[in-house]
Parts: sequence; structure tokens; C-alpha cells
Amino acid sequence: MDVPHPRPVPAGLSRRTLIKRGLLGGALLAAGGAGFLALRGGAKVALPPDGLLVFSPAQFAVLDAVSRRLVRPQPGWPTVDEVGVARAADRIAARVEPSAQKELRQLLGLFENGLAGFLLGGRTRPFTRLEGPEQDAVLADWRDSRLAVLRTGYAALRTLVVAGYYQSPSIWPAVGYAGPPGIFQDGPSLPEWRGGDAPRPDGNGVWHGEALP
Amino acid sequence: MSKAGRILTGRDHRVATTIHCDVVVVGSGAGGSVLAERLTARGLEVVMLEEGGYWTRRSFDGREDHSYPRLYQEMGNRATDDQSVLILQGRNVGGGTTVNWCTSFRTPRTVLDHWREQHGVKGLTEEALVPHWEAIEKRLHIAEWPLDRMNANNQVLWDGCGKLGYSRGLVRRNVNNCANLGYCGLGCPLDAKMSMGVTLIPDAVERGMTVQANASVRRLLVGNRRVGGVEAELLDPETDRPTGVTLTVTAKTVAVCGGAINSPALLLRSGLDGNGNVGKRFFLHPVVVMSALMPEPVAPWSGAPQAAYSHHFIERGPGKLGFLLEVPPVMPLIAATVFPGFGEEHQRLMEQLPFTQTSIAICRDGLLPEDSGGTVALRDPAERRVSIDYPLRPFHFEAFREACKVMARIQFAAGAREVRSLHSRPVRIQRQADIDAALDSAPWEAGRVRVATAHQMGGCAMGADPRTSVVDSTLRYHGMENLFVVDGSVFPTSLGVNPQETIFGIARWASQFVAAATG
Repeated sequence: MDVPHPRPVPAGLSRRTLIKRGLLGGALLAAGGAGFLALRGGAKVALPPDGLLVFSPAQFAVLDAVSRRLVRPQPGWPTVDEVGVARAADRIAARVEPSAQKELRQLLGLFENGLAGFLLGGRTRPFTRLEGPEQDAVLADWRDSRLAVLRTGYAALRTLVVAGYYQSPSIWPAVGYAGPPGIFQDGPSLPEWRGGDAPRPDGNGVWHGEALP
Repeated sequence: MSKAGRILTGRDHRVATTIHCDVVVVGSGAGGSVLAERLTARGLEVVMLEEGGYWTRRSFDGREDHSYPRLYQEMGNRATDDQSVLILQGRNVGGGTTVNWCTSFRTPRTVLDHWREQHGVKGLTEEALVPHWEAIEKRLHIAEWPLDRMNANNQVLWDGCGKLGYSRGLVRRNVNNCANLGYCGLGCPLDAKMSMGVTLIPDAVERGMTVQANASVRRLLVGNRRVGGVEAELLDPETDRPTGVTLTVTAKTVAVCGGAINSPALLLRSGLDGNGNVGKRFFLHPVVVMSALMPEPVAPWSGAPQAAYSHHFIERGPGKLGFLLEVPPVMPLIAATVFPGFGEEHQRLMEQLPFTQTSIAICRDGLLPEDSGGTVALRDPAERRVSIDYPLRPFHFEAFREACKVMARIQFAAGAREVRSLHSRPVRIQRQADIDAALDSAPWEAGRVRVATAHQMGGCAMGADPRTSVVDSTLRYHGMENLFVVDGSVFPTSLGVNPQETIFGIARWASQFVAAATG
């Protein structure tokens, strides 16, 4: 595998200018959305039948590609298609703050973008058009970058995709986990006290002793 | 005499509503609940507002994918702005007490002494706190967890410390009829955990307190030296988005109890910056982790999460952060996000989860003179997220590195086959003799090693001097007659022990001042 050598930090892209509030600095994010190399098409993937809530088809394709590097086909492991990892990531993102959703969309654009890839790692093709080992090298580049902002982006992207896969109970057997104990199944039949006229049900939390000083 | 109050959710008001009471308590965690219970015991009329939802064992299902979004801040994904520190923090009726691991320590005397000597805190002595600790320990059944019920995950720390001659102790837990399941972090299905949601909150509701869940307090109604109440937006219990309905609560006294991140943020949104001190001196007991592959099954999700601890390294001399050693429960989803790597390497680590022991070192920040901690600040006003900055400095990394070495030694002493750091490129060590070299050469830098926190403290530091603190020694905001902050945000430093019992004790002690201000 040909791992690109880390490139020197481009002039002006110091940590101070890059790290602002939020996931990524504004200057770098601008590169995520523009640039002629970005116009080269990324890979197209089948979209979920029930649509996307947060991400565009192109952003969805990046999540899908990353998920296939995160989880390799293995006996006993559900595939990323069976779990629907990129769709699950979209659903997770649907619950976060709108401002955080915007940052995630920018992050995926930057990650995919050939121009940003060229500035930061020497590649010009979109991430989704790279071969698997090349994609692994890009991920490793971000992970090990001397730019803190790329390490931040790697952490955010990885967390989203990991959560998209491992949220599924279908992965429990693969990691040797039997799931929650059966006692949890009693939950729906239990009372829920909301005060008012109903008496508080007795239970472990009710104090039967004398009033405490 | 007075009839019971109600526990309401975001769906229970369809139109803008204003209610009046003696004391409005913003936040329902360890601080707000203890305070509210004491105030109702004095006959005061209390309204408690909580941004998170009302979840009980009726809805707890032990699933990580459901529990983190329901019960934790930002769905369990809260982090510093640069993502270098993962922040686990509760957000629900009961706050952190619904999801914490039940560990209960009294405040170390050395910390109380430090607060008095270095921060001018008056009256908050061990003698003043003991009666409150005794009462709360009785009410919450706080007792040492027996050694013969310790799970395998804790046993590694216990045995390893024993073999190496490190001091060790048994954790005291707030549980009643605990079945040793291990799901404390996802909500107890037996109500065996003596969380606020099953103890002091319903106690106060029985005396007439109203609890409003899904109420996001956006600002305090600040007047001249007094606060008139608070204004909240109601959130939809399902989507967590604003419903458009506002709730205004006017009160004789306002108690802000949102914890070390949300309390400073509320003060800042209300234009109260405490001479620039609000949001400063923010501490979080930064945690580093070592995992170990053991020869026998560990099942780190099973059994009381925390049963053993070691304070052997809590005092390490000038210029160094001390650390407390404990273990965390580990379930698949959280493990997958914090275990490093990609592809097959990551999958191998995950397959070994049943045989994986995990230890944590909780670093005591804020006691060194040069340690001013992090900062909680507002972002753009349109944003609901706050900005959380916690710069990792050389003294942090020195403590992280040495703590990882200590944990590795303990794990090997207890029989580990391999130990691993949580660097983004994991350091894997097979032999005791390789520990120092492997960890000395690892990259100790933000974003290259997983750092986490489950303890958030400071941001509204108490102290004598309004130029350097936010609240006085009665937890009253400097310069305001009827505004109090009652939660972990008032700590001038971190503690070096899990904070819940300190928050209980301080809140119970401070309830006298809040009551006196209410008249």
C-alpha cells in the first residue's frame, strides 16, 4: 500500500488560523464546498428507499464508502448493507443541532473534495473514486495529520460511521454480547408516576424511615 | 396538608403559560434535586425545570442506541470544540444521577482545605458537611459494595493493586436491593439505583413540587440586583425540538442547577458574566484509558460498574496532576467509538470485547497554581450548543502517560496478555518490560489519544472575591440578592473523587441560604 508522505503544512494554514469554534475552521471549510476539482463526480450509490434526512446523495456516498473501510466483510459479522450504516448515520445526524448538521455536511464535502485532497494529501480524485487501500491511506492521513483540525475531522467522521454500524443489535453476536438482561422487558408493564391525585407506587426509592434532619 | 404536585412534559402546555412560586430550580440533577427536596421540607413552593425528558424504568430498555439520545447531553456525543475530550453528561429528570455509576465519596478534606486557603471559601468545612452527608447516605442507602460481589472488570484493578502494593479501596454505592446487573449507565431497570428521579424528586413532588421536563431555560429575568424568574422554551418530548410554547416562571428566588456546562451558559445568555469569571475555571477530571486482553472472560458490561478504586497516585508532588484509578463499564457501542482503528484491526479489538478489561485514570485538575482549566462560552446566539474549550497542557500529558504506565502494570500484574492504549494508532504492549519504552514514545497530543470525562465541575467558582469568583460562600451570585448557583459548577477546583456526593452535600448545606433569601 502506498501511503502518501505527510505534506508540509501549507503557508497560512497554521493551527491558529484553522481552529476556530466548531468542528473545522472556516477557511478550510470553504475549500470543502468549492474548487473546480470538486466538480469531478464522486461515486453514485443506491439511496435508502425512505430518503435522506440530513445529507445529500454525494455526502451519503462518502459515508457509505467510509463505512466499507471501517467494517470489512467477515464471517459472523453483518455487512454494512445489512445494517444500513450510512442511512443510520443520516438518522443519527438528524437528531443533532442544525448547526452541527451543517458542520458534518461541510466535513463530508471536504473529505470527498479533490482540491482539498490535493492541498492536504496530494490526491486529486474524490474520496469515493479511490480504491479501498487508497481510501485507508486517506483516513490514516487525517488521523495522523499534523493539522489538529484534520484529526478533529477524522474523529467526528469516524464516530458518526462507527455509531451507524454499532448501534445495531444485529452486531451483538459478532462482539460476544448477549444483549440486555430479560428484566428490561418488564418495563412497559410498570406504572409511571406523574404526581397529582394518584398515590406514589411503593418501591426501592421510597423512604420508610423517620424524617431526616 | 398540601397535595402532591405534578411531573409534566413538553406536551402538557399548548399555549404560553406563566406560573408563580417561591423558588424556581433550573436543573434536576444531584444539586437541584437535593436543594428542591430540602426547600419543600421547609414548606416552600418549588418549581423544577429540566431540559431533558422524563424517563423511568418503564422506558429503560438497556439499549445503548436508545439510552444515549434519551438520557445524555448531545446524545452522548458532547465533546470539546476540537473533539479531543469526549464529555459524558446526563440530561434527563434526575440528571447525571440517572446514568452515573453510583460511586459515592465524601469530599476529601484536603480539597475543602484548599478551597478555604486558596479561594477564600468560608464555612464549608468537613464539620459543616458531615450531618448532611450522614442524612443523604441514609436516605440513598450509600454503603460499601461487598468484595464478594465485585465483577471481573473491577477484580483486575483490585488484584493488580494488591500484587503491586498500591493502596486500594472498595467503592461505596447509592443502591437499594441492587441485583448487580451493570446497566447503571443506561438507567436502572429495578429502581435499585438511588437516583434523584426515584428518591428526592418524588419526595418533593409528594410535598407539592411541580416538575416540568422538556423545558429549556433560555434566560433569567434579570433586574436590578434581583432576578424575577426564568423564561423557558418547551421541547417536544419525541423530537427534542422547540414546540414554540414558552413557559415563564416568576419566583422569589432562582436557583441555577444545570451543571458545570449549562449553568455558566445560562448565566452568560442572561448577560451575567461575573466580571468575566463565568465559564472560567472549568474542570473535568480528564480521563485516560488502558484496555487489556485477559485470559478469562471479563464481560465488562456485567456487574456493578465501579467496585474498586485506588488513590495511591492522588498526590504526586508539585507540578503534577494526581490521579484516581477506577474502571468503567464497557458496552459495545461506546467501546466501538473509543477503541481505535479501522477495518480488521478494529474488528479484532471488538471481537475480544468479552475478554477485555478496561481501566481509567481520573486526573485531578485545578489544584496546581498554574492550572486554570478550560472555558465554557457561548457560540453564535442562534446556536443552542455551547462552546467548550479545554486546552490539554504538558502537565496533563505527563499525568496521562504516567497513569497509562501504572494501569498497564496493574493489568499485567493481574494476568493481562496484552495491554493497549487508546491512541488513534493504538500502542499495543505484550510484555511488562516494554511498558515504559512503548508509552514514552507514543504521541501525547490532543486528538491523538482518547481523553474523556464523566465529571464536569467549575465554571461558576465560589470564592470570597468577586473579582475572581462567581458565587460567594453561600452560593449566591455576587451582587445579586436572590440568585443562587447550586451544582458542581461552584467547585473552585476538581476533587479527585467522583463528584456526586460532594454535590449532594453542598446542595443540602446551601439549602439553608436559599431558604433564608426566600423569606
